[in-house]
Amino acid sequence: MSIRGKTAIIGYGETEFAKARDSENRSNHTEQCHAAILAIEDAGIRKEDIDGLIALPPLGQTPSWGMDMAEYLQLQPRFIDNLYHGGAAGAAAILYSAAAINAGLCHTVLLVGGSAMKPGRIFPYDAQAVIPFVHDFDSIYGSMLDNSAYALIKQRYKHEFGVGEEPFAQVVVNARYHASKFPNALLKTPVSRQAVIDSPMICDPLRMFEIVMPCSGAAAVVLTSAEAAGRSNNPPVYLLGGGQSIDRGMWNPAYGRNPSLTTSPIKKSAAQAFAMAGLTIADMDFVQLYDCYTITVIIALEDIGCCEKGQGAKFVENANLTHQGELPVNTDGGQLGRGQPMGACHFLSTVEAARQLMGRAGALQVEGARFGLVNGNGGSMANECTLIFGNQIP
Amino acid sequence: MTVSSQYAKPLPGESPESKPYWEAARRHELVFQSCGSCGRKIHFPRVVCPGCLSRNLQWRKALGIGSVYSYTIIYRQGVHPGFASDIPYVYAIIELEEGVRMISNVINVDPLKVTIGMKVNVVFDDVTDKVSIPKFEPLQGKGLDKKASCQL
Ligand SMILES: [Zn+2]
Repeated sequence: MSIRGKTAIIGYGETEFAKARDSENRSNHTEQCHAAILAIEDAGIRKEDIDGLIALPPLGQTPSWGMDMAEYLQLQPRFIDNLYHGGAAGAAAILYSAAAINAGLCHTVLLVGGSAMKPGRIFPYDAQAVIPFVHDFDSIYGSMLDNSAYALIKQRYKHEFGVGEEPFAQVVVNARYHASKFPNALLKTPVSRQAVIDSPMICDPLRMFEIVMPCSGAAAVVLTSAEAAGRSNNPPVYLLGGGQSIDRGMWNPAYGRNPSLTTSPIKKSAAQAFAMAGLTIADMDFVQLYDCYTITVIIALEDIGCCEKGQGAKFVENANLTHQGELPVNTDGGQLGRGQPMGACHFLSTVEAARQLMGRAGALQVEGARFGLVNGNGGSMANECTLIFGNQIP
Repeated sequence: MTVSSQYAKPLPGESPESKPYWEAARRHELVFQSCGSCGRKIHFPRVVCPGCLSRNLQWRKALGIGSVYSYTIIYRQGVHPGFASDIPYVYAIIELEEGVRMISNVINVDPLKVTIGMKVNVVFDDVTDKVSIPKFEPLQGKGLDKKASCQL
């Protein structure tokens, strides 16, 4: 029983992002509630129409987050979850919600993620150290968590394929270009490749501009049955295909099932999503990739089938990946351009896909966009979830 | 040897299944598990083989030689504040000759001289009087026990 075309996004919302130092009056709950209300209003539904809720717990928060959000908004869902899949959580939440709707467990799911940043250290040491084998065989060597994990991947990629810094810098240049035109972006100043290469080295070979800036913000979407979506004010954005694949743990890329640092489970998750949708990469009018670091974009482009393994660096240098180019990538600036509102990014790729497919992307609109791909990436390219959306069912 | 109370970094020993590993490290032996059913070599320590799910695991002593599979030089404070004084330091994936991979540090070398493929040997950092942590340094070619991996 395929979920192809059985559900659609009918509304979305994202709060105004803010740097940590400007987040004094924000909390995890205020952020998620604002985003939820924006999405509900955009969808034009009543609170009573919502019978499913997935709320992603902000870092360090209780795993009962979904129930606590239901209480805060006094919702009465009959389907609820609070996924913790790292950056794949949002895409996975949409996929599972579509399955639940299709199975008759609920009709309309509100999905929300996001958090408020406080100045200072984002990630308490304890978050990682509670897992004994991570503590004993990683933390004691001074891990920098995601920074060091992605640095290991980038270093190995450069070694295996003889790649320099320029393609990585180009990923940032593209992101900042889109961000300069995206109203809600925090990093609106375009940068040159040289500026990226000259930015301070944080975790060799990762430089500051290649690493996302965590910030405050939240995002939400409303997913409902295709039938109900037909009665919506907004053009329905149908979920046409989805797939997920996991082959490592959360914290470092040394110990997983996949011995390669330069291939990702996106290959499997994207293949499943395309097969379900009955579409290929050639049909995609844009892709929204999880760009927590530059290397993820290059590996993802390869693994969704834009080019052969090892050619991703050449691809980002030679192809026009802007909203006017042959393959628009991260048309809202992505995390490297708009900032990384933690927990919201999980849904922001989907929000941008919906914005494009509803024809509401303004200066960044991909003309005539019909189909688009979203990829969520959790851990150090450990947990990948790929979704294919369309404003029509082919 | 550093005195226990002065060691500001996290100490290992959280997982019961890794106890023999840290006892061996205390003796300055690097060990890994080998599956008696399918032959898979395993690190980090587990109670079952992640290949075939057999419980039939044996500890083996590693040669203590390997190469850098990938690495990063860390220039900013990591998650734990105890490492601030080591900056810049090398955090790496080491692939042992026996084939298992492990996270470790490459020490006793200018971080900028580290490369992927660099041959390294284990060196034990006695961080307290009870705990020794295996780290790696560029292969010295002397003072090493060259005999093949053996069953303990
Ligand atoms: Zn086995």
